[in-house]
Amino acid sequence: MAISCFSSSLLPPLRFRSPNPNPNPKPKTLAPIRASFSDPFVLSIAEKLEDSLPSSSHPSLQTLRSLSSQSLLSKPWPSRKDEPFRFTDTSFLKAAQIVPVSSSNPSANHTFDSPSSNLLVVVDGHPVPSLSRLSSIPSGAFVGPLSTLPPGPALDRVLAVASSEFPDGDLFWDLNGLGTPDVVVVYVPERARIVDEPLHLVVCSAEGEDVGSGRLPVSNPRVLVVVEKGAELTILEEHLGIGECEGRCYWANSAMEILIGEGGKVKHSYVQRQSSNAAHIKWTFARQEAASTYEIVEVSIGGRLSRHNIHIQQLGPDTVTEMSAFHISQSNQIQDLHSKLVLDYPRGYSRQLHKCIVSDSSGHAVFDGNIKVNRYAQQTDAGQLTRTLLLAPRATANLKPNLQIIADDVKCSHGAAISDLEEDQLFYFQTRGIDLQTAREALVFAFGKDVITRIHYAPLRETLNSRFKELLAAK
Amino acid sequence: MALPLSSPAPCFAPSPSPPKTPPRNSFLITIPTPHRRRRCRHGAVRAAVAVDSPSAEGGGLRAETPNVFLEVKDLRAVIKDSDKEILKGVNLTINEGEIHTIMGRNGSGKSTFAKVLVGHPDYEVTKGSVVFKGENLLDMDPEERSHAGLFMSFQSPVEIPGVSNMDFLRMAYSAKKKTEISPIEFFHYLLPKLEAVKMDTRFLDRNVNEGFSGGEKKRNEILQLAVLEADLAILDEIDSGLDVDALQDVAKALVGLMTPKNSILMITHYPNLLDLISKRCFVHIMEDGLIVSYYQELHIKNCCRNLRSSFPVLKYELQSPTLEHFRQGSS
Ligand SMILES: Nc1ncnc2c1ncn2[C@@H]1O[C@H](COP(=O)(O)OP(=O)(O)OP(=O)(O)O)[C@@H](O)[C@H]1O
Ligand SMILES: [Mg+2]
Repeated sequence: MAISCFSSSLLPPLRFRSPNPNPNPKPKTLAPIRASFSDPFVLSIAEKLEDSLPSSSHPSLQTLRSLSSQSLLSKPWPSRKDEPFRFTDTSFLKAAQIVPVSSSNPSANHTFDSPSSNLLVVVDGHPVPSLSRLSSIPSGAFVGPLSTLPPGPALDRVLAVASSEFPDGDLFWDLNGLGTPDVVVVYVPERARIVDEPLHLVVCSAEGEDVGSGRLPVSNPRVLVVVEKGAELTILEEHLGIGECEGRCYWANSAMEILIGEGGKVKHSYVQRQSSNAAHIKWTFARQEAASTYEIVEVSIGGRLSRHNIHIQQLGPDTVTEMSAFHISQSNQIQDLHSKLVLDYPRGYSRQLHKCIVSDSSGHAVFDGNIKVNRYAQQTDAGQLTRTLLLAPRATANLKPNLQIIADDVKCSHGAAISDLEEDQLFYFQTRGIDLQTAREALVFAFGKDVITRIHYAPLRETLNSRFKELLAAK
Repeated sequence: MALPLSSPAPCFAPSPSPPKTPPRNSFLITIPTPHRRRRCRHGAVRAAVAVDSPSAEGGGLRAETPNVFLEVKDLRAVIKDSDKEILKGVNLTINEGEIHTIMGRNGSGKSTFAKVLVGHPDYEVTKGSVVFKGENLLDMDPEERSHAGLFMSFQSPVEIPGVSNMDFLRMAYSAKKKTEISPIEFFHYLLPKLEAVKMDTRFLDRNVNEGFSGGEKKRNEILQLAVLEADLAILDEIDSGLDVDALQDVAKALVGLMTPKNSILMITHYPNLLDLISKRCFVHIMEDGLIVSYYQELHIKNCCRNLRSSFPVLKYELQSPTLEHFRQGSS
């Protein structure tokens, strides 16, 4: 059923420029909605994205584009009046001239390396096999562009997953679906494991503009992960600007969709270290079938505007979900995490830890963490904790941890703390002969290291620890 | 031995009347606390008490003028937030190689005194002076006090999540040495210290005090003392929460750390540990922010007996079953 959606005949691609832009006869209401709600600014981005893409795309991509373009018609550019963007100012994007990255072949003159033998590089949204090395992928598994996934059960399954609806997706989710040049597919068949040599996904931007040029190249990398029954995957997802992009302006609008089959396990490390002038908007949408485990560890230190939306949905009982995040907001930086976890089945277990350092008066941290324990989610054990260190006067944090509990037999805890460093701890250092400055640095480092040590791969962990140290020293 | 004072008679130091010339190898103790005379209303009062050097085993004979380590005069301190006065004119002198102890009921100000000495930011000194090894301690930052050779073990050591014990100790030692000590070099330095306090190396990888049991925290404090090799160690209830074996271990470790050159100020409710460390020490009683009395004895047992009769407050503590246990164990 769902698969049939992807036959391109059913849903022809939608062209924004066409005089009659909605040839899809099914949703009758679409035309009036478009008339009343379409935001000209959004439409202009959509048009530019569409023009930048080759018209001869793979049929499965055409379908994704059609679905996305229909959906974004009803979505205006977010303003501070919209709850999800109440504290997150996206006006600097709106003020810029947003241009799609040029579709020309991404420069191959970069070299990438990974301590893992499984490396996949995505440049400006394009998966680049020539820069990648996938030497220990188990048989039956597939890692690569959707357009190269051969027909067969794996493709059918991937398409079925991709076509399922995501009602919580916002404008940026849809823009990504419309603008992605190809989807990176990670397919792990039943009981297969990609763990000891994790999959290292490097998602980078190579096209950037000078600060002050007013132009903002946008790329739309998209990843789809399907981990079948009893299978295991450790995935390291790293976002950064390369080459001349370091320090320049660009907008990476990324999305990742994950489906974990029954008893499957996904350990997901997500690292954002974009240029300090970049915008980074990211979606992570995960669904978990019964008795599966999903662990996501996030470290976000880059970007001028960084927004991560996580949406995790349970599809069966006995699931385990763990989310940890560590953000640093330095001067003129905003780090925003909006997460939503929906528990619908019995005996779910979930933990969320959000930690954030705002080290400058112009830095800003936003956290909105919603955990919803629905009626049938009895015997759920859910915990949520957010801790923020404000290290400068007038540094700002807007925190909204919230547990919504409808089931009655549950164990839930949550807490929020905004503080400076603990006096008692600083004094303890001092009485052992360690000066205040060194003590502060050690405690700030420890604060972040707490999350960094959860990163699922030692070499990445060490790199991050030293990057974090450099950041603290540079201050 | 200069003057055997095996008599059970209380021997509180009397008024500061001019003392007789003490015998060689002995010295005088005078306490200027005004409450003292009142407390000493019974028992023999002598013009002066002259005793052996109370230094630990191996202390040997000492010069006639003892080397003053710490001299606290009329120390008054308030809690910064509320201006409430906690220390109301404390006097105390500790010489090189001596073991002192402060006892007193809960809330009398013992920990506050210790914390003020190491420069805790919650308290403000309003009057008096503290001289440590000839320098004005009150002018120094807490870390400078540590570098000068002062150490305090906390009654409840704070947990420091995210900082490994190993890193913490190495930072402390590097700060003391004023140069970065490499992890390998430090490990060689540390190993014998770990053995001395009977601590497993796996405690090095754990975060400072995080999830440590009460006893483990206390052991960890002693390990820090061993690493820093302080001249004067203030041990605030280092013995509370320790089981029989741990108490023996801590006592052994302390004895191992003692040299004729360093001193201990121990805050405790039970003399057990003292008994294990040394038969000779100075005992002070603190009440409501003042050191109200002072006692010196060759044998802690006698000291306790006398204290019991003079301070009903301490009755329970000094008769506690554990005390008897240790008495038997150590005699
Ligand atoms: N920072 C503080 N804020 C408020 N009150 C304090 C503070 N520090 C000490 N006090 C009060 O001062 C008094 C002395 O406390 P202190 O901890 O010095 O007692 P103690 O003699 O060590 O007692 P214990 O035998 O129970 O350890 C107590 O009444 C205590 O509540
Ligand atoms: Mg105390």
